[in-house]
Amino acid sequence: MSAATPDRPTPAGNGLPRDVWVNFKRWSRKAMRNPTAFFLEIAVGVLSLLLFSAVFGDVGELALEAAGYGGVEYLTYLVPAVFMQATMGSAFTSGVGLVGDLESGMFEKVTVTPMGWTAVLLGKAAADLLRILVQVVVVLALAVALGASVETGVSGVVGIAAVCLLVGLLFMSVANILGVLVRDEEAINAASMLFMFPLLFLSPAYIPVADDVAWLARLNPITYGVDATRALVLGEDVSTVLSVTRFGGIYDTLVPSVAILVGLNVLVGALAVWVLRRASSADAG
Amino acid sequence: MSSNAARQDATADSQGPPAVDSEGLSLTYADGTEAVRDVSLTIPRGEFFGFLGPNGAGKTTTIKLLSTLLAPTGGTARINGYDVVDERSAVRGTVGYMAQHISVDTELTARENLRFACEAYGVTGGDRIDELLDLVDLADVADTPAGNFSGGMQKRLDAAMALVHDPALVFLDEPTTGLDPKARNRLWDYFERINDAGTTIFLTTQYLEEADALCDRLAVIRDGELVADDSPSALKRRLGPSRLTIDVAGGQEAAENAARAARQSGLVTDETVLETTADGLDVATPAPTEDGPDLLVALRDAGVSVTGFDIEKATLDDVFLAIADDGTTGLDVERPQPTAAAGESA
Repeated sequence: MSAATPDRPTPAGNGLPRDVWVNFKRWSRKAMRNPTAFFLEIAVGVLSLLLFSAVFGDVGELALEAAGYGGVEYLTYLVPAVFMQATMGSAFTSGVGLVGDLESGMFEKVTVTPMGWTAVLLGKAAADLLRILVQVVVVLALAVALGASVETGVSGVVGIAAVCLLVGLLFMSVANILGVLVRDEEAINAASMLFMFPLLFLSPAYIPVADDVAWLARLNPITYGVDATRALVLGEDVSTVLSVTRFGGIYDTLVPSVAILVGLNVLVGALAVWVLRRASSADAG
Repeated sequence: MSSNAARQDATADSQGPPAVDSEGLSLTYADGTEAVRDVSLTIPRGEFFGFLGPNGAGKTTTIKLLSTLLAPTGGTARINGYDVVDERSAVRGTVGYMAQHISVDTELTARENLRFACEAYGVTGGDRIDELLDLVDLADVADTPAGNFSGGMQKRLDAAMALVHDPALVFLDEPTTGLDPKARNRLWDYFERINDAGTTIFLTTQYLEEADALCDRLAVIRDGELVADDSPSALKRRLGPSRLTIDVAGGQEAAENAARAARQSGLVTDETVLETTADGLDVATPAPTEDGPDLLVALRDAGVSVTGFDIEKATLDDVFLAIADDGTTGLDVERPQPTAAAGESA
């Protein structure tokens, strides 16, 4: 039959770049349609920076001195923690968006279009990453206004953004996997707390890691995100759980941390694509 | 509309492959549940096809198999000439799909929803969006978020989203469930319009009057298997006997006389059931328009005085109930010829 079917109707559809763009536009538009949530996310970041530096400032500086960060202001030390916190928060919002689509039927509607899953995911990820980027810029601008400084300059700021996007992408994958598995917005919100607090506190985010939890910090992806951004903020090797010396200076922190984050992204990202593809072809309902 | 279907049938070859062509399509879940068994269906282009069955019979699962949302575990299906497994993306590019549950992005406006759907299918030009908004009467509220719409408005938006790319075939899974009669009639008009324009429609519904009014052809699925496949009128003829009620003067005795006369006239066959009532006769027959007058003539010749006469024609509800009731009569045993089996046992 297929040889003798020249008059089959022509399938509608675009190429991959256009599909990515279409999905990016949809999710960006949805984010703009719901500005309250977006501003709340930013407010949480801003408040964290202000509160933690005000409340823990003096104690934090003692801890910093004890850990060998003499002369570093606690506010400056704290900035990477707020980056990571904001990044993770936004990343979990990405999972909430997916659950919304699963509940509203838009997930199925998108599946039945000729758009491929890679394009759908990339477009959504790009829109979510843009949100993370805006938050990082706001938090950074506030921190600088309060007296913190980025020792590595403009290239450092670009690097910070890149690290935050890597961490964001990683937790977006986690959140989307959870989204498909639990299919419940409240559960995703609860899970975001479950991830954020232990991971942030078991990392050098707020204060340097104590020796007896160092092994836990080593298994924690946030540790590498914090270390990498802090290396860029302070302009020095701040690695807490790894002792790499072959790259020199801040690269002793940056190279292994980024390598670990990229590796985790590949692994968890592949898992997320697999889980979503499976959900889209078995969404019997 | 059936003559229309016949025309489509006759010209199907020159128009290209059928909209749906499945052979032994099956879906068995990992736990052994057979959701769909051996469904073979051919739907010519341009047909308005209705798919009926009790809840859980496999209607939605069949639609999901045909629209590539589920992968079959057995059999094959070609949609508009494309294979649902090997040419999935081409199938998706030539069909529209309206799910049973409303699927619209409630955060976006009607226009934005349609724009996304247009872009997802590579449809360019703002005219198309306005055209669709007009078609489903949502032009006035085009810039209102869909979350503020009533269920009927969301359904209409949903229907429009399934049609942005002017698909050759559209699957409508219970498109009017939960709508008020006015909104339902509006959607019916709309579906008839796009069908008249050449779109093949695959519709499932719980409203039998909807199937009766719209569809050229109906198939009935039960427990994952096709048990009937014919035009609505043929199904009614075959499966739903009509009822003749004849009142006679003279009470019980006259009724007995009338029954005797009817039997003697040779009108009572294997397919006819005759009962006497307090007022006269009650006859179930597959051919009411022939049997009715003949019976009246026979009664007049026998000297029975008739005081009342009524023909109650079968509805699709009768057909549906007849098929659903077959579950208790061992129909499943005759699996190789499900369609014929359904006809005979009714």
